[in-house]
Amino acid sequence: MKNKYIFGGFIIVVFLGIMGYLFTQTNIKYENDFSKIVNNEATVKATGAWVKEKNYFVDNEKHLFSFYMVDDSGVELKVVYKGTIPNNFESSTSVVVTGKFKNGIFQANEILTKCPSKYESQFEENKNS
Amino acid sequence: MIGNIMITLATAASVFSVAMYYLTYKGNQNTLKWARIGYHVMTALVVVASALLLHAILNHQFEYKYVFNYSGSGLPTGLLMSTFYAGQEGSFMLWLLFTAIIGLVLQDYTSKRGDLEYRVMMIFTISAAFLLIMVNPALKNPFSTIWSDPTFISTKYLNTSLLSLPFLQQFFFQDPGSNESFVKVGSELVGLLKANGIAISDFIIQGKGLNPLLQNFWMQIHPPILFVGFAMSAVPFAFAFSALLKNDYQDWVKQALPWLTSSMAVLGFAIMLGGYWAYGVLGWGGYWGWDPVENASLVPWIIGVAGVHTMLVQKKTKTEKHPGRFLKINLILSILTYVLVLYSTFLTRSGILGDASVHSFVAPGAIVFLFLLLFIGTFTLMGIIGIIYRWKSLEDMTVSNENVMSRELALFTGAVTLIASALIILAGTSAPIFSTTVEIKFYNELNLPIAIIMGLLNGFSLILKWKLNDGKNIFDNAKLSLVATFILTLLIVFVGGVHELMQILFTISASFTLVANAEVLYRVMKRDRIKAGAYVAHIGIALFMLGIVATSGFTNEKRVDLIKGEPQTVLGQEIMFRGIRTFDQGRKYRFDITVGDQEDQSVVSPVMFVAEFNNSLMREPDILSKITSDFYVSPVSYTEKGSATSDGQKSTLKLNESTDFEGKKILFKKFNFPKEAMAAMMAGEEFQIGALLQIAYNGNIKDVEAIMKSSGGEREFIPLVLEDANLKIDVTSLDASGSLQVVFSNLASGNGVSKEVLTVEASTKPFIGLVWLGTILVTFGFIISTVRRTKESNQ
Repeated sequence: MKNKYIFGGFIIVVFLGIMGYLFTQTNIKYENDFSKIVNNEATVKATGAWVKEKNYFVDNEKHLFSFYMVDDSGVELKVVYKGTIPNNFESSTSVVVTGKFKNGIFQANEILTKCPSKYESQFEENKNS
Repeated sequence: MIGNIMITLATAASVFSVAMYYLTYKGNQNTLKWARIGYHVMTALVVVASALLLHAILNHQFEYKYVFNYSGSGLPTGLLMSTFYAGQEGSFMLWLLFTAIIGLVLQDYTSKRGDLEYRVMMIFTISAAFLLIMVNPALKNPFSTIWSDPTFISTKYLNTSLLSLPFLQQFFFQDPGSNESFVKVGSELVGLLKANGIAISDFIIQGKGLNPLLQNFWMQIHPPILFVGFAMSAVPFAFAFSALLKNDYQDWVKQALPWLTSSMAVLGFAIMLGGYWAYGVLGWGGYWGWDPVENASLVPWIIGVAGVHTMLVQKKTKTEKHPGRFLKINLILSILTYVLVLYSTFLTRSGILGDASVHSFVAPGAIVFLFLLLFIGTFTLMGIIGIIYRWKSLEDMTVSNENVMSRELALFTGAVTLIASALIILAGTSAPIFSTTVEIKFYNELNLPIAIIMGLLNGFSLILKWKLNDGKNIFDNAKLSLVATFILTLLIVFVGGVHELMQILFTISASFTLVANAEVLYRVMKRDRIKAGAYVAHIGIALFMLGIVATSGFTNEKRVDLIKGEPQTVLGQEIMFRGIRTFDQGRKYRFDITVGDQEDQSVVSPVMFVAEFNNSLMREPDILSKITSDFYVSPVSYTEKGSATSDGQKSTLKLNESTDFEGKKILFKKFNFPKEAMAAMMAGEEFQIGALLQIAYNGNIKDVEAIMKSSGGEREFIPLVLEDANLKIDVTSLDASGSLQVVFSNLASGNGVSKEVLTVEASTKPFIGLVWLGTILVTFGFIISTVRRTKESNQ
């Protein structure tokens, strides 16, 4: 009886240990302060807005898509994404890119755009923010 | 207005019904009748309210804020129906509607089984009451009128012939950014309109429309089925809590099981449909992206399935005196299934996943947030308090007879592995609450070993079962299965070329499950077909696992530029871009691509269009499905003959300012707009304007002119090509105040300068059909089990 609980407890501890370890290993933080990204080589999810005035650049041959992002305090970040420009990029209000800062540019491997009108009206979004 | 009266009355009826059921529980004799009347009245009112909402949608009553925001008048009836649940308000309404209707079945079911009704229905009606409060006018109400909060509505949604009315002018607003005009629609304006005899429905004549991502068949059936599953998952909770209330656990498992298996069938099927939507419409290329919203509904399903397994043990081990084994676990899992459904609702609707998921809702506001917390908090606390309160008596009923080789232990261990898997997914999915997230690797690496253990356990538990029945040596029984597994695994590993150790173990595990269950299924089908459910479901899981081995390890992907009319061999297939067809009144484009050679040719037609809804380019893949693999074509971009390429750098040139592009300096000197052209423009005749540019490259300086021609209001820009500078300049717009929008591109990269080029991402997905077949079999297995357990619940 007692052995059963010791064995069960041991399994649970090992399981939670492995899970906790992998959680910290695969953990990606959200970052909305770009000045912190520049001094860090870790993979992060940078959240900000696309700088419409600076436009974007598409290189179909190398499958690259690059643009500038800006955070709340006005720090800009050049982002290069290896892949196709997302479906609703032009109308996005906020952009989340996952990747690393390297050699002066943010190299993204995932990009997610949020549109104001996606599920809730723009009006409601403004009201809540 | 009538809708809100219905909702308010229904809320009152639900509270009345709960109170009457409570009094019955307390021993009153004549309150049961009233409780039933209350419940039926509530259901009737909810049905009427839903019908009113549907009526408002079908008749384009844009005076309702919900209809205006999510519906539009150009939609076919099928899609109009699905705007019912396109937003938060309507989807709560749909969940409520299903809850109310399922309650009728539950009331009938419980009234025929002892004294169950008043306890079970009391709990279940509380869940309906919460949903009713959620759709009331203060929270997520689908019947709010558009003027309840003054709303700025763009004139494009309004009846233009009325806009010149003098009393309207004071309500106009201009957005300086977009130059769009808005009318402030508030109660004041509505009063004026009414006073002038104008109906609101004649004033607001168009809605914002339905998100194009939701405009497809899968999104017409996925959400409703999911909400049926959500509504049904409240039932096992009600049974567990009812058993705790009575402190009698002899019959609850047998009574709750058919409800649990049926809700798992529905929920599981709904999750699969969501996966198919991601594969076939969203163009993810995969069926499962570990997206938090998908995960959120998967976790309660896994917990519920774990509960099915341990409840079977309790049912089997029940005696006259004891309710059977794993009683506590069963109560907890039944409670947890519904609590996790509520938790998933909270994650997806509170706005907490905002940045983390492609399909979460926008933050709904503080009151709704708190109410969602209250909703989940109430049911969690009910569960915790119930269990703690009865802990002593539950402990007394614990039976323990250990046999390491018992089938019960195998079932229990299987449930534990399921719970472990649910915990992993839950941890990853909840990470955004702490503003962090995990890589997809986290889910894959942790779930893989668990899935391997699960498959092996399942196979062994079946062998153990037969051992107990006919007393032969385990290995004699297992021989056939083991040999068959060995052969099947060898076949898959060598023919398919599976190399990684974990993948090989996973293949062994899946093959073992498949073989062991197929063997038992064969025996069962000869004698007792009603018992086939579990084996059918497990075969489904095994096929699903094999589908994962194939698709995760052997998917090939390639991006190609297809030139119209020129065949290319891609991933072993000869494919050719044939041409474009427009449909949906010229708004959408189908790109026809032939796949295969002359003898065996098929056509795939991925779609691209610019959605008015969010003014962005939408791409829809098309799939050529064959038995052994899918050929998946996802459009990327299309370049027309001689037009501006999408390839390149967009820039704004200002007068007397220079811009850099790949080491070339481009200076915008001035406009060339002679007097004759000016006169022609004034007269509305054909004219042209030039923009003089100076380009500095490789030490050369060259002056060029970009020309815009205008005739009959149509503007045409003539692209500039500088061969020696390897530069192409496309002017896309021109502003007389002194700026030019241009696109710079390389000649080398723009191989679409003179040809029609369609860029696509093509991939082959071997045996992806196994994934769908597997999940369908799982659903089918649960349905068979539901039939069997329903019959048993009466005995």
